[in-house]
Amino acid sequence: MHRILLTKTRRDLRRRLPQFAAIAVTVMVGVVLFISSYEAYQNLSASYDRTYARLRFADVTATGGNPRQVAAAARHTSGVSAVSSRTQGDLPLRIGGDKLLGRVVGLPAGAQPSVDRVAVTSGHYLDPGDPTGVLVESHAAKTFKLSPGNRLRAFDGSAWHTVTVRGVVDSAEYLWPARSRQDSLDDPHSFAVIFAPETTARSLAGPSAASQTLVRFTDDYRDSATTKRATAELRAAGAVDVTPRSEQASVATLKEDLTGFQQLGLTFPLLFLAAAAVAAYVLITRLVLSERKVIATFLAAGAPRRLVVQHYLSHGTVAGATGAVVGLVLGTLSTDAVTRAYTSALKVPDTVIEHRWPVAVIGLVFGLLVGLVGGIAPALAASREAPAEAMRGDGGTLEPPGPWSRTVARARRIPVVARLALRELTRSRRRTLATMTGTVLSLVLVLASVGMITSMRSLVNVQYGTVQQEDATITADTHASGLASSLRKVPGVARVEPVTTVPVTVSAHGHSYATSLTGYRQGTVMHGFRTPSGGTTSLPAQGVLAGKAIASRLGVRVGDMVTVNSPGGEGRQARLAGLLDEPIGTSVYATDTTARALTGAGADSYQLRFDHAVSEHARDDARATISNMVGVVAYTDAKALRSQFDKYLGLFWLFAGVMLVLGAILALTVIYVTMTVNVAERTGELATLRAAGVPLRRIAGILATENLTATLLAVPVGLVAGAAAAWEALDSFSSDMFHIQLTLGWGTLLSAVAAVLAASLLSQIPAIRMVRGLDIARVVRERAQ
Amino acid sequence: MADGRALKIPAPRGGVRLRGVTKTYGTGEAKLNALDGVDLDIEPGELVVVLGPSGSGKTTLLNMIGGIESPDGGELTVADTTLTGRAPRELVAFRRDRVGFVFQFFNLVPTLTARENVEAIVELTGRGHRAEVPRLLEQVGLADRMDHFPAQLSGGQQQRVSIARALATDPDLLLADEPTGALDVATGKTVLNLLQEANRQGRGVLMVTHNASIASIAHRVITMRDGRIQSMERNAEPADAAAVSW
Repeated sequence: MHRILLTKTRRDLRRRLPQFAAIAVTVMVGVVLFISSYEAYQNLSASYDRTYARLRFADVTATGGNPRQVAAAARHTSGVSAVSSRTQGDLPLRIGGDKLLGRVVGLPAGAQPSVDRVAVTSGHYLDPGDPTGVLVESHAAKTFKLSPGNRLRAFDGSAWHTVTVRGVVDSAEYLWPARSRQDSLDDPHSFAVIFAPETTARSLAGPSAASQTLVRFTDDYRDSATTKRATAELRAAGAVDVTPRSEQASVATLKEDLTGFQQLGLTFPLLFLAAAAVAAYVLITRLVLSERKVIATFLAAGAPRRLVVQHYLSHGTVAGATGAVVGLVLGTLSTDAVTRAYTSALKVPDTVIEHRWPVAVIGLVFGLLVGLVGGIAPALAASREAPAEAMRGDGGTLEPPGPWSRTVARARRIPVVARLALRELTRSRRRTLATMTGTVLSLVLVLASVGMITSMRSLVNVQYGTVQQEDATITADTHASGLASSLRKVPGVARVEPVTTVPVTVSAHGHSYATSLTGYRQGTVMHGFRTPSGGTTSLPAQGVLAGKAIASRLGVRVGDMVTVNSPGGEGRQARLAGLLDEPIGTSVYATDTTARALTGAGADSYQLRFDHAVSEHARDDARATISNMVGVVAYTDAKALRSQFDKYLGLFWLFAGVMLVLGAILALTVIYVTMTVNVAERTGELATLRAAGVPLRRIAGILATENLTATLLAVPVGLVAGAAAAWEALDSFSSDMFHIQLTLGWGTLLSAVAAVLAASLLSQIPAIRMVRGLDIARVVRERAQ
Repeated sequence: MADGRALKIPAPRGGVRLRGVTKTYGTGEAKLNALDGVDLDIEPGELVVVLGPSGSGKTTLLNMIGGIESPDGGELTVADTTLTGRAPRELVAFRRDRVGFVFQFFNLVPTLTARENVEAIVELTGRGHRAEVPRLLEQVGLADRMDHFPAQLSGGQQQRVSIARALATDPDLLLADEPTGALDVATGKTVLNLLQEANRQGRGVLMVTHNASIASIAHRVITMRDGRIQSMERNAEPADAAAVSW
């Protein structure tokens, strides 16, 4: 470009520095968000992958069948690099004063297995000469403050056995310590994993022992085709359930989390960049309009139109590129901090921090695009100026009134000032639309982010208020007698019901799904059965109810028959009597009679409810009393996760507050630019009003009325678009593990609207300053020349 | 009078007094003495035309008298109000209560009708009465154009709206900066006629123009050059606006 035009661009930018700076800052925020969140997302992915590779995480886990036959089938499958077998079982654990549900996983003593290794972070690996020595998974070790040398007890179905902690380990299977896909959001105090020598594990797991075959592929074959082929081979060899790595509870939960991060890394930056583009469009259009005569003179003198386009595009691209470069630097710096904070919070053993040049290039391109997209229309309009028309002067810029102006003109009872504000909306539709777009983008940002939090809160409320209505689950020693009556006598306990819970695999049409079957007595008060239509149902006398995700997983409909396989039992047929809508997990429910008929298992636990009036302190006392009862092997507090969630609520609201502020900044940028352009375009009018002695506050009132009217007009659109964006975001999380329904309370909606209105009012300040600083004499003098 | 009532002659108002008024723009080599010690008295009810080439200081003089700009030195009294050393807020009140402006480019709000443009000033300043607005527009010959938007009015009609707007607050002094500059001769004469009529109602009128032909309608003609008053002539018989031609 010509040097003189570059000089002009530089001076134009300097003259409108606050407005172009606002655009650059918005681009910067967008690029920082993009770089830091998208790179952090990729770093997290890489960190998980590094841990998975280091610990030789299984690509496929087969459960059931004859382990030798299944392992042999696996070894004959092409693309398989390693196979190992082990025992896994769920069992009650007693750690200190806590009785909880745990899991024991078998490992070869003396040497790491070829698949699903563990990384010892303290102490040492299992010793063949120490059958009672165990390793504790690091999350449990932290929760229960366990270290090598500590002891804990495990219940094998008939008696408690003491084992000694020899080491604390990280496991790829438990990077997120989820017991199953149905219990991915458990209270950390309700679940612990220990690794024991294979023989000890088999002995401790007792009746719950399940044989597992772990299969790892070569790197070249780690794809869906190999997974499909291996799954088929393993099933054919007798495996009851085959779980690919992507469906493993920990991996799937972390994947959901990563999906959220990825969305955050793309959607939110786009909102900021769109806002910046809108602001650039408004500002450059104003620039072009104010320079019509200059452009016309250039064109009349034979300047090529291409040059005019380039010149006006350069304003936006300089602002966008400046913001993008600063954003790139800040984003790159913050990527490290975000990645480390995340892996540290999740206790991911490996932290990979890499900076990928394509991400940086995309960030820069985003910035440039803002300038190009925002500037292209006004730049083209500038190049199409008809020189004669443009040089004719201001008289030619008046446009005849539209229907809206004529309608408002007839509303003579409304004060003229209000009529003026209403008509200004259509005077510069570009400006009004820009203000409205800023409002809409801001509301989308706020509602999409805050909506996630309020919906999560609602999910917890529904799960632990409407669905799981019990206060605690007591796992019982099946040999103990009279436990129900003992529980009823505990002060504060209002209701007690026996419950049967069995891990099962449900299959139909060649598909299977590992879940749990819970048997309640008919008319239970411990569980609410929500139907997808929003109502409630009760347990069928025959057949089972199941979470609605099972229908798509197995390709079944209500009324179809499914096969229910329990550990060590034969597959039994059951009719799918209905589907349920439950926020967390996809479980199967039946009456206790049906559960017994399907699995052969009887009641193994009790669920209880406390009196409503019972205090937290009394509940803790009851918990201690119950935990110490003979025959009680585990106590699971159903409300603990809710309490845990409430504990984090402060942090969530902080996030919501940050998003509200970011939303307000986004709105502020666009509205600020449109407001200042508004004042700039109406300098003559406003100067005339000031010359006529109209007080500043009255002019401020006119501008505020116009501005707030445009903002308020956009609010309904913004609320609908924001709710739709939030719904879309939540829908992407929906799976068999979670079903999050969008819940936006009035508080959220009002806060979001208040944020944009506050931004709108704040943008008045610079506009009023402009009016106050208006040099009436100069304006009048320039107009007179 | 035919109806037997005595003719009521409005009391003249809008007197101006300047003593040694100076105004400088810029500094150093770019320093420009827009007004260089101007002494001037304008009688209440007087119609004065200020002539002069570009940069002679005539618009600065008008802005100063209108309270848009403040003098750097000297004394300035307009309509019995001393403007020297006044705070901006006081100048706003002065402009609201004492003066009305007519500009070359009419500066009408394009989204308001002619009537609303005038009403807006009444509403915003709290001076004048909305009920008077139609009469004002009738006076300027726009009885049938009151509800038209600026885009539907000719340049002369727009300027007439701006005169009605300036009169809406019943100012003592009407200040017009090149009021005919953007108009053809016939329309310009109509506008001059309205200003002359406003003057006949007792208001002082100060008009700045390049156009020497207009000078004949004034009681007094002041010519400025380099920020000073170069000459001052009194017209014994001010011409009627209809008789002016250029």
